Amino acid sequence: MAADLNELKVMIEDALPGSSAEVIDETGTGDHLRAEVSAPQFEGRSRIDQHRMVKAAVRQRFDDGTIHALTIKVLD
Amino acid sequence: MADQELTDRVKELIAENQVLLFMKGTPSAPRCGFSMRTVQVLDQMGVEYGAIDVLPALEPLREVTSEISDWETFPQLYVNGELLGGCDIVEEMFENGELAETLGVEQPASEADPAEAANQDGPYKSPPMDIEGA
Repeated sequence: MAADLNELKVMIEDALPGSSAEVIDETGTGDHLRAEVSAPQFEGRSRIDQHRMVKAAVRQRFDDGTIHALTIKVLD
Repeated sequence: MADQELTDRVKELIAENQVLLFMKGTPSAPRCGFSMRTVQVLDQMGVEYGAIDVLPALEPLREVTSEISDWETFPQLYVNGELLGGCDIVEEMFENGELAETLGVEQPASEADPAEAANQDGPYKSPPMDIEGA
């Protein structure tokens, strides 16, 4: 099952109100994705915490095997 | 629920090694591209680090790091007892100089070619332990 990029974008933006996310399929195979996210919740948090927040937002899609790899890029 | 003995051992290792990398394979023979890239960055920093090959006990270790660090994927770099990040965070922090600052070293010359640096003998020390399949 290929990931729905727009669904993932919405999951991130819903979990982090005020954020803006773009999800890109890096390999064209639908399972290695890249998310570029900016969010007010990132302020003052470590990189790893910022990534944890994004991963937590889409955890369901990791757990059901839709996504295998998500590269996260935090935009300032 | 992660194995308690393995959890305790992992916590000990993180406490004992100022810089510790959990990776797939070894620094001289990485078995995953992300682990290899993380090693290439570390080898440029000129710090001693411990390395644990997670492959012999991948799932048990995944359970442990999931519980203690809320992180399931490898590689994972720990500095001063804290999870710093995986490959993408380490590379980003290398590029913007935060990694050198965190490790307390000088930023290496920017023209250094990571691939070339990886061919030299890095400061990597022997793994502090082998984790047997739990």
